[in-house]
Amino acid sequence: MSRDVMIDLQQVSKFYRGQKAPVVENMSMTIQQGEIVVFVGPSGCGKTTTMKMINRLIEPSSGRILIDGTDVTALDGNDLRRQIGYVIQQVGLFPHMSVATNVGLVPKMLGWDRKRVEARADELLHLVGLEPAIYRNRLPRQLSGGQQQRVGVARALAADPPVMLMDEPFGATDPMTRDRLQNEFLRLQEQLRKTIVFVTHDFDEAIKMGTRIAVLGERSKIRQFDTPESLLANPADSTVAQFIGRGARLKQLDLRRVDEITWEDVPLIQPDKAANGAKRRLEQAEGSSALTVDADNRPLRWVNAHDLAADAGTLDGAGQTVTTVEPQATLRDALDAMLASRDGAAVVVDEQGRYAGTVTLDGLMQVIHHTPEQEEPGAEVPGPRAGVARTAELTPEQR
Amino acid sequence: MTFLEYLQSRHELLLIQTGEHATIVLMSVALATVIGVVIALWTYRNPRARAIATATAAAMLTIPSFALLGLLIAPLGLGYAPTLVALTMYALLPILRNTIVGLSEIDPALTEAARGIGMSRIRSLTTVEIPLAWPVILTGIRVSTQMTMGIAAVGAYVGGPGLGHQIFAGLTNLGGVNSLNQALVGTVGVIVLALTVDFALALLGKLTQAGQRPKLFRPRLASRPALTPSTAVPSPSLGGRE
Repeated sequence: MSRDVMIDLQQVSKFYRGQKAPVVENMSMTIQQGEIVVFVGPSGCGKTTTMKMINRLIEPSSGRILIDGTDVTALDGNDLRRQIGYVIQQVGLFPHMSVATNVGLVPKMLGWDRKRVEARADELLHLVGLEPAIYRNRLPRQLSGGQQQRVGVARALAADPPVMLMDEPFGATDPMTRDRLQNEFLRLQEQLRKTIVFVTHDFDEAIKMGTRIAVLGERSKIRQFDTPESLLANPADSTVAQFIGRGARLKQLDLRRVDEITWEDVPLIQPDKAANGAKRRLEQAEGSSALTVDADNRPLRWVNAHDLAADAGTLDGAGQTVTTVEPQATLRDALDAMLASRDGAAVVVDEQGRYAGTVTLDGLMQVIHHTPEQEEPGAEVPGPRAGVARTAELTPEQR
Repeated sequence: MTFLEYLQSRHELLLIQTGEHATIVLMSVALATVIGVVIALWTYRNPRARAIATATAAAMLTIPSFALLGLLIAPLGLGYAPTLVALTMYALLPILRNTIVGLSEIDPALTEAARGIGMSRIRSLTTVEIPLAWPVILTGIRVSTQMTMGIAAVGAYVGGPGLGHQIFAGLTNLGGVNSLNQALVGTVGVIVLALTVDFALALLGKLTQAGQRPKLFRPRLASRPALTPSTAVPSPSLGGRE
């Protein structure tokens, strides 16, 4: 077994007395160090039960769970839980304790001295974007829902646990806040590289957060365990497909970036230079458009032969407006830009806004239909490509 | 002898009796608090045990005080002991019931969070659950205190301490010189004492209410959150803006 395995579930089952069917039946799964594995499935499928068995909030009836090679039953349950971050949907901040006290609870239990606990609480509040000087002495009810969940995440991170369990952590917040919390958390994860088990029933959230997604069915049976990309491209069965829901292709576009596909070149025209040469080149290109650019190669307008014929002297103001995307944009953004343009093409520009290439609807179609037939479901660890797609997801606001 | 003259002539005795009265009530309420909270902690998660505990405490409350005190003479003799035991039994129900209610009304998410971050059962109880249930528990303590104040007066019947002696003396000398004064001073004394102790307990509640520390004790920053708009926070990430 690879050294990088962080959590190893071996034939884990959970029975309750008086219930015939187990809640979780013979679940096996390995989770690599540093990845976010999302458990997604209908309510009552045992995903939360499975997660809670990892920190023994629920004791497994049979099977073994190893964290970093150590059987979780070897430790006292409370000691174990102090080493595993835990975030729940209801946040669960203690209302009679200040924000800083809440965050410092686990370090305090681990016997850190007061100064160190306080310093750590401040550090974590800063990390989750709450200015310590302002927020440390507040009570939880003086914070908004989103801020509360940030404190919840800070509390879970307090003792720097290698493993975190998150049970629908952003489920109770409004869509805008949720989106922001997700993005912030993914950015945090870039630095922290925790091993995370994340439970949700929202498939879109699973796609966004997951390095790998486990689609669970009844009794926590793994229907498919794969990267978001492969899951969308090749659902294992109709149930998974149903769960993915409509728009799988569109969701795929969210996961890939413009710089992952091949760009096309179009003729460039600098209007102040002789238009004749350009016209010739356009005529050779048979009906396609050319791009007028300024002296720095920044795209200006789309022009075609007709525009050139109408106004041979100057090209100022002729043609159609240009929509641009940056290489880091998702293909969904690129599609949006294409649809906004008459020509069905979006111009890729670099950071200085200079022309780098174009992407077209045709190109996009090819990408979608050439999604590589990826590994057998659940068999392989995500490749580096998945990692690249992740970073694209992290920073939509930065574009 | 007027009422005031009576007060003046007996003020030393009256002060001692008032002190005794307060002491026996507070002792029995303290005892009942310890017993009630412990029983509540044992039973509040088990509906059947909870029902049995409250039913027993309620049954004790229905025993007439004269009867209970009289019955307790046999095992405990006269004086302090039977009074203390009887008062503790009466004080038990409000405290027990309120503790059970207070503990079971705590948001399950909080107890789950406490367990999830690795708090032991005892730590969760002492740092989270009991502090959160405290206002409700304290209400029970106040009800018990009020109730036992009156019952304690009956304790004089079995030779217990307190202002009950004045009342009983007045009642036995009915028609005598000071009988009215004695009965009056005993009754009014109990009422004044009850109100004073209740006020003190209410103050205690204000001072100990979880998460609502009075301004006096609150750090300066936390006391004026409204004046520091969070939008003004320069933050490296997107935080602090909701």
